[in-house]
Amino acid sequence: MSAPVEIVLIYQSLLGIYGDRGNAMVLVKRLQWRGIDAKLTMVEPGAPVPATGTVYLLGGGEDAAQVSAVRALQADGNLFRGLDAGGVLFAVCAGYQICGTTFTIGERDEVIDGLGLLDVETRRGPERAVGEILTRWTAPDGSQRLLTGFENHGGFTRLGAGAKPLASVEIGVGNANDGTEGAVQGRVIGTYPHGPVLARNAALADHILSVALDRELEPLERPEIDELHRQRVAFVRNQAVRH
Amino acid sequence: MPAATLADRAAPAALRLPDRLRLGAGIAAGNLAALGSRLANRGSGASIRGQVLTRIAPDAFKLLLRGRRIASVTGTNGKTTTSHLLAAAVRSGLGADTRRLVTNADGANLHYGIASALSAHRLADIAVLETDERVVSDMIEYGRPEILVLLNFSRDQLDRNHEIKSLGRAWRTALERAGHDGPTVVANASDPLVVWSAGTAANVVWVDTATSWTGDAALCPACGAVLSTAEGRWDCPACELTEPAASWVVDGASIHTPHGDEVTPQLRVPGTFNVSNAACALAAAVELGVSLDAALAGMRTVTAPAGRFATATLHGTTARLLLAKNPAGWAEALPLATSDPVILAIDSVAADGKDVSWLWDVDYEQLQGRRVVAAGPRAQDLAVRLSYAEVEHQVVPDLASALATVHDQRASAPGVNGAVPQAPVDLIATYTPFQKLLKMAGLR
Repeated sequence: MSAPVEIVLIYQSLLGIYGDRGNAMVLVKRLQWRGIDAKLTMVEPGAPVPATGTVYLLGGGEDAAQVSAVRALQADGNLFRGLDAGGVLFAVCAGYQICGTTFTIGERDEVIDGLGLLDVETRRGPERAVGEILTRWTAPDGSQRLLTGFENHGGFTRLGAGAKPLASVEIGVGNANDGTEGAVQGRVIGTYPHGPVLARNAALADHILSVALDRELEPLERPEIDELHRQRVAFVRNQAVRH
Repeated sequence: MPAATLADRAAPAALRLPDRLRLGAGIAAGNLAALGSRLANRGSGASIRGQVLTRIAPDAFKLLLRGRRIASVTGTNGKTTTSHLLAAAVRSGLGADTRRLVTNADGANLHYGIASALSAHRLADIAVLETDERVVSDMIEYGRPEILVLLNFSRDQLDRNHEIKSLGRAWRTALERAGHDGPTVVANASDPLVVWSAGTAANVVWVDTATSWTGDAALCPACGAVLSTAEGRWDCPACELTEPAASWVVDGASIHTPHGDEVTPQLRVPGTFNVSNAACALAAAVELGVSLDAALAGMRTVTAPAGRFATATLHGTTARLLLAKNPAGWAEALPLATSDPVILAIDSVAADGKDVSWLWDVDYEQLQGRRVVAAGPRAQDLAVRLSYAEVEHQVVPDLASALATVHDQRASAPGVNGAVPQAPVDLIATYTPFQKLLKMAGLR
């Protein structure tokens, strides 16, 4: 029997302030519900990151935590090895920012080198982006899917030539109020909607899993997840009409 | 410094004539508005009184604080309960002279809520004031409180308060400015953010609350290094910040006093976290000059502070009402909820926080094996969370319907002797549904 699929949740104590562990729980359960052996590994600074991860996850956090996380991940090195070995990284919010080449922290906008996994740069935006966000994502089969989430970030992210946007914005701010949201580069995906974005968007969760496993996954019938998706899309559109 | 006693009366405030006139007009108009609100059956009117008052007399908060001995209570969780415990302790110490005490018992803890409470008790010279985290700096500057209780500091409403530390930074500045005129801070030594926030205070009484919530205290608030924990104490390996030695220590259900006594508070509010709250209230009461025995006797009279832990029969279901506003609060409330079914009500208007991502930081897995009724406008978000937690549930967004559903189910599945179960159902709610429930129950 093959080893279980390993979902690695990185530095929850640093990058996990928005319920970001939810994404890990969603991925593990969606595998288990399909009868696929899966395990969740949580790793904290000081302990080695497993180099055997199938999917790595980074969440949201404050400035100081971002710097600590970058230092610890660079010193450890196993995230890079894991990605070279075929792992997928899904990073949200502050975790997305640290995947870029540079980002800024603090009142004085100190520039910090990121992990360099995504060709993106983050600088302080004109105002903080806080609220429900709705984007359109084109799935690998060419179908358009709506992604719903909640964004809360002060940084604006610009994409370089090496990265492609994950989705286009229908409502909300996204990367830099420029109509794009998130970034994809190879097997690294970054996005602003934080916390349990995969709980609301089962299609994106399954996409990450099928990229990581390099195979199609059978569909799961979970009407209440579809209902949540429907409710949140309706809410953010109604809200946009009222404003 | 000689210890304070309750016999110490604060000097009455001497206001300039224009201030006195404006304040008088504001109070009169506020009282009228409050009366209107009560007659229209729209609540106590405390909130509208404060709003009208501060519109007419913008300085009301400052002016009404003057000339009183103030104990201010703040923190993310437990403010209301701790304020009630402290007020009860002081009331007990005052004996027959309880008119000397004013407190904002309704939990209205912003500038106008505090002004409202104070305006209704002009002659009370001792004030126990629950204070919102954002009002603490003004409280220190204008109220010159004798005591400031700092309970705990955890993430709450991140859609509004983007950085947990920024509030603590404001408190540090206010305490530093106040210098030796500043309050004696009664502070939770178990919480790194509290310890850092109290770091500029001239005088601190540390309470080891033995609290276990560490979800928001990974990094040193002073230098950003990762904190270490050994033998139940936290420490920063990179700078001076460390868990201070406490003079009051919580140990299970009992509290060790600075004089070596061990007391058991025997509270009528549940939960070990309330023993921690009681330890802070007790330390504050003793600082104010209340005897230990009187304070304990007073605290034992507190049953349902501002409706928390109250039991009410609504739409046929008897429910115990528990409030939980953030992951730390849920970590406290969930173990108390032992009924089957249990009702959970979630909303996301401004007072609850518009972002419900925190649902994924709550260990709902502990409800496995029991049935949950998911209620409130965000019931569907909770339902998905519960699905992933493998907890059996049904979605009934409307609160009244959720309570009626539980009644109907209990009636159709009576117990062994054919009786409908009467034991209260535990109902945990975020802020807005909690207030709605209190209104339904006539408790506010």
